[in-house]
Amino acid sequence: MRHAGRIAAAAVLSVVFLSSTSEVASAQQDNDHTLQAMRDEMARSKARLELQIPNSDQTVRPFYIEYRLLDLEVREIGAEFGDLLSSRHARNRFMDVEARMGSYKLDSSNFVSDDAFRGFIGPTGEVGVDRDYNSLRQDLWIATDQAFKEAVDTYSRKKGYLSSLARQSDIDDFSKTEPVQLIAPLETPDWTNRNWEQEARDTSAVMRAFSQIHESRVTYYLVYATEYLLTSEGTEIRQNRSVAAIEAGMDAVADDGVPVNHYYATYAVRPAELPSVDAVRKGLNVACSELMALRSAPPAQDYTGPVLFEARAAASLLAQELSPALDGARPPISFSPVLEQMLTGLGAKSDWVGRLGARVLPPTVTLVDDPGAKEFQGTPLIGGYAVDEEGVRGQKVTLVENGVLKAELMSRRPGPDFDKSNGHGRAAFLNDAKPTMSNLIFSSSEAVSPGDLRKKFLTECREEKQSEHEKYCLVVREMDNPALSLLHTEEFSELLASFGGGAGTGDRLPLVVYRVYPDSGREEMVRGARIIGLNTRALRTIAGIGNDDFVFNYMQSQGNGFAGTALAAFGSAQLGLPASIVAPSLLFDEVEVRGERAEAKRLPLLAPPPMTAAK
Amino acid sequence: MRFPLITANRSRWISHLVGLGLVAGLALLSAERAEAYPPDAQAKRSPLLGALQAELDRSMKTYGAQDPPAYYIGYTVTDSVRVDVSGSNGALLNSSQAHNRWLEVALRTGSYQLDDTHKVGDRPAQNDSPVVGVPVDDDPEVLRRAAWLETDKRYRDAEEALIKIKTGKEVKVETAEGKAPDFSREQPHVSIGPEVTINVDRTPWEAKVRAYTKAFRESAAIINSIVTFSAQAQNVMQVTSEGTQLQYGQIRYRLELFIQGKAPDGMDIERYNNFDWVDPKEAPDDKAVYAAESTMRKELEGLVKAPLVDPTVGPALLTGRAAAVFFHEVFGHRAEGHRQKDVNEGQTFSKKVGEQILPPFLSITDDTTMKKLGGQELLGYYQFDDEGVPAERVTLVDHGVLKNFEMSRSPLMGFPHSNGHGRRQLGATPVSRQGNLIVQSSKSMTDAELRRKFIELIKEQQKPYGLLIDDIAGGFTFTGRGQPQAFQVQPLVVYEVFADGRPDELVRGVDIVGTPLAALTKIVATGNTPEVFNGYCGAESGSVPVAAASPAILISEMEVQKKETSTDRPPILPPPAHDPVQTGGQQ
Repeated sequence: MRHAGRIAAAAVLSVVFLSSTSEVASAQQDNDHTLQAMRDEMARSKARLELQIPNSDQTVRPFYIEYRLLDLEVREIGAEFGDLLSSRHARNRFMDVEARMGSYKLDSSNFVSDDAFRGFIGPTGEVGVDRDYNSLRQDLWIATDQAFKEAVDTYSRKKGYLSSLARQSDIDDFSKTEPVQLIAPLETPDWTNRNWEQEARDTSAVMRAFSQIHESRVTYYLVYATEYLLTSEGTEIRQNRSVAAIEAGMDAVADDGVPVNHYYATYAVRPAELPSVDAVRKGLNVACSELMALRSAPPAQDYTGPVLFEARAAASLLAQELSPALDGARPPISFSPVLEQMLTGLGAKSDWVGRLGARVLPPTVTLVDDPGAKEFQGTPLIGGYAVDEEGVRGQKVTLVENGVLKAELMSRRPGPDFDKSNGHGRAAFLNDAKPTMSNLIFSSSEAVSPGDLRKKFLTECREEKQSEHEKYCLVVREMDNPALSLLHTEEFSELLASFGGGAGTGDRLPLVVYRVYPDSGREEMVRGARIIGLNTRALRTIAGIGNDDFVFNYMQSQGNGFAGTALAAFGSAQLGLPASIVAPSLLFDEVEVRGERAEAKRLPLLAPPPMTAAK
Repeated sequence: MRFPLITANRSRWISHLVGLGLVAGLALLSAERAEAYPPDAQAKRSPLLGALQAELDRSMKTYGAQDPPAYYIGYTVTDSVRVDVSGSNGALLNSSQAHNRWLEVALRTGSYQLDDTHKVGDRPAQNDSPVVGVPVDDDPEVLRRAAWLETDKRYRDAEEALIKIKTGKEVKVETAEGKAPDFSREQPHVSIGPEVTINVDRTPWEAKVRAYTKAFRESAAIINSIVTFSAQAQNVMQVTSEGTQLQYGQIRYRLELFIQGKAPDGMDIERYNNFDWVDPKEAPDDKAVYAAESTMRKELEGLVKAPLVDPTVGPALLTGRAAAVFFHEVFGHRAEGHRQKDVNEGQTFSKKVGEQILPPFLSITDDTTMKKLGGQELLGYYQFDDEGVPAERVTLVDHGVLKNFEMSRSPLMGFPHSNGHGRRQLGATPVSRQGNLIVQSSKSMTDAELRRKFIELIKEQQKPYGLLIDDIAGGFTFTGRGQPQAFQVQPLVVYEVFADGRPDELVRGVDIVGTPLAALTKIVATGNTPEVFNGYCGAESGSVPVAAASPAILISEMEVQKKETSTDRPPILPPPAHDPVQTGGQQ
């Protein structure tokens, strides 16, 4: 095997519903010996894996062992201005072995230590793609050995640390669950007969017509995955997932030197369901046209007052607000207060945990997360699954009813309010499972038509802004996803450094913002607005809710450890987890907006070299 | 600074390995010399070259007229087609082909004498140079657009850097070395070579890597094995404001074998071997690979059981391939020109030009025009270095006397020109690096004579044994001033050779320590057969392919210390295939 590292760079787990739930059937004819190798190495480890405590005749054994294996086949095609940048087609398999010491009450997990055991090979790694028996047993053998030693080491560190604390927690470390056996037939990837390289060229050629665009990129990311899970508790899973994405980012510079950016993204469960070239070109054309409008729009000014989030923006906003709030698991115990503080800053500590029975949303609102949902009023949802990453069946959970908090999203890591998993332990690319939403549906019993909502907004605006010199209010049409709209990783890191700290306290990044003048109804785009202080508490006082439910399919970011933080909403297909939010337009009475979010840079000394629009 | 000599294998496990070429059992030092300018009438000029030139002309007109002016702009496009097929423990790990193309823009502000790259005081040098991915479809318009944006960015950075240097320069004390210009003036070169291509069927290699790693599973001592086949066709286009226009390509094939084991006390044992070739017809056959595997397996099994060595000082005999690594680390890195200039560097050899630094029977050249030595491929061969300067044969040491350095376009006082050793990995700024380091001796003897002399020395020094070092893995050398001027190389295969005629005994856990100048003067005799080492050398400008060749050397006095060992114990359970208690089994 080859060491892959815990956060490897390339992968997505996505989601497909198992077309047949033929449990523990048909597996033996397909020449896949993965589970058999896992079973046998598991049996040997359960029976004989033990370590002698130095200078004593005591031995220790793990109480839980888990084998995860991810078989990924990926096609990734990048293009710009009508040309192919790169095209990759690869199949890889990655394994992750976890061993736990101690007991369900107190175990070696969920502890962040700065000085952990490092084995010479490690419990994770890239393994052979042949689905054969012998090589995988060899790899599992050494990975199990390393995982066990790591757990022994971490367990003693964790116990040492906990004994220095004044009060011990009475929350268990790991919850018990019914073992699940679910073995789906192997799926052969269907890439369709569409020429994906040519489609990437043809769609990215749209940007050639916009001479002011500096850089742009269109990426097609098509993935088929088979996930395996085998635990010492008896869970045995083989399930198929897939996701298909088209993502694009583009940037330009306004005449005063302020950079502007935009993005386009569309997701489907399978490549065949991706939109046609024409549809993508249309979408890119809208994004590019808006980018050009942003380039010449006046900069946003500081503003406090009513803001109308159109449905697309509202859904994205809710993804940022609710991702940390709904996470019911107890956060990791950290050796370092700095790390704890950092995670809190990113919104890793839920504002809602501990508030069961309290009103957290307007009294008309119900919030449901449903991993079993496949579509909403005919529009496909991408966040579903049968069994989560911990082998627990995904359950439909009513989180908020009539505005009152009823439940939280749970993995097998208990929290202050709940100890059982409800099948929301999700993970991208063999990361640790974290409570994560799947298909989240926000609905209200008193929704009004978008026209009525806008009327209400304009009335409020008129009253609110009566005495002010410039009478306008703001409409947010689209929120930014900087993971896609910024084309350079250093720009993204820079943004996180300045914005990341405030993500938990309610800093939000709108992308397409309009001023609306209530007297004339005229709309005027502004550039670079930043919302501050819009946190989960603001959701209690939503002033109006539309009935224009919008399905927002997006990728939850987990690759950088951002799951369960406000930054989780900034994902891309390469490092994310498919999720869907259904939300309508939302009106807020009072939102604080600040101007200009980026600093001006000097414009290039030379005009761009010529580029013909047609290709 | 540390310079681990590592292989191209990108696995994170292999951080301290050395790629060792098979021993070339040939006595002749006759090189097949390559033409620096292959005159190829068939070579077609890429349309991209014209696009780069047009954008370069436009940029130079504008940026050359700014204050401070850009006085040099260079555009380099590197096109790479790479095939990788690897296997592990009997299964295919991955199999892929990738095509990528990158643009690098080099832009210097100021003047040849003083520019934005000037080192001020101990401020670290800027080693990375941004790389921009550009389309693999030939599209002059899109390539020009990428060059346009990148040129502006590079100018902004260079402008800012020069202002910092000019304001900082006055307060720093200038050394004599610091008075050398920042960039050398060189003749421009125009050379349009043919595009190189590879056409690899991955299927047979997929079967081979499975079989090669399956064979390793037969040994219970081998915990993990990885075999990687790679092939790369790299085509480079370069235009500069000085008038250089180059188009050339290079093909490389490589097979790497790697195994891991663990001694009972937890020490990690690794064995490594590699084959390099350029002509697909010269790929190693199964027989050669299995022979290499058999040696690796025997050595690993021997090492797992071998006793630990005690710290000692005494005579040592290094086989040719071990000696080649020794020279690469101890001498080669210190003869890299830019190190003589940098006040942070130890500058071991800076003031020793014309002085005797080695025994008079030793001469050393760095000859990057050499394709092969004794039938074996040399990885340090190239036509042009990464600054567009033709490859050159450089005599570094002539009969023990230091004559020259490996030079990039960063000149030294007395060495105003590049000798074609400015090298870098994609994404790094070129600095002077080794290519093919060739050690020659006029005091050579046969293997038997050398061994006789070795035993005489052991007896003379009244030691029970001397050390025979057969394989050296990597190691690193400190050349920075803040660190001791010491080197440390990690011998992988070491035998104790006894004065009383007992058979040689394999030992484990040896590190060579010492100071470079002293060690070099203690070479007393050499063998008569040059052996080639091929590997990838890592330093501040990244990993570059290099070769070193040397006959065996006898050192009168060498100090060894115990190697750092891992605290991680061997696996608790035996390997599944070698477990007397069978659990399950393949259906």
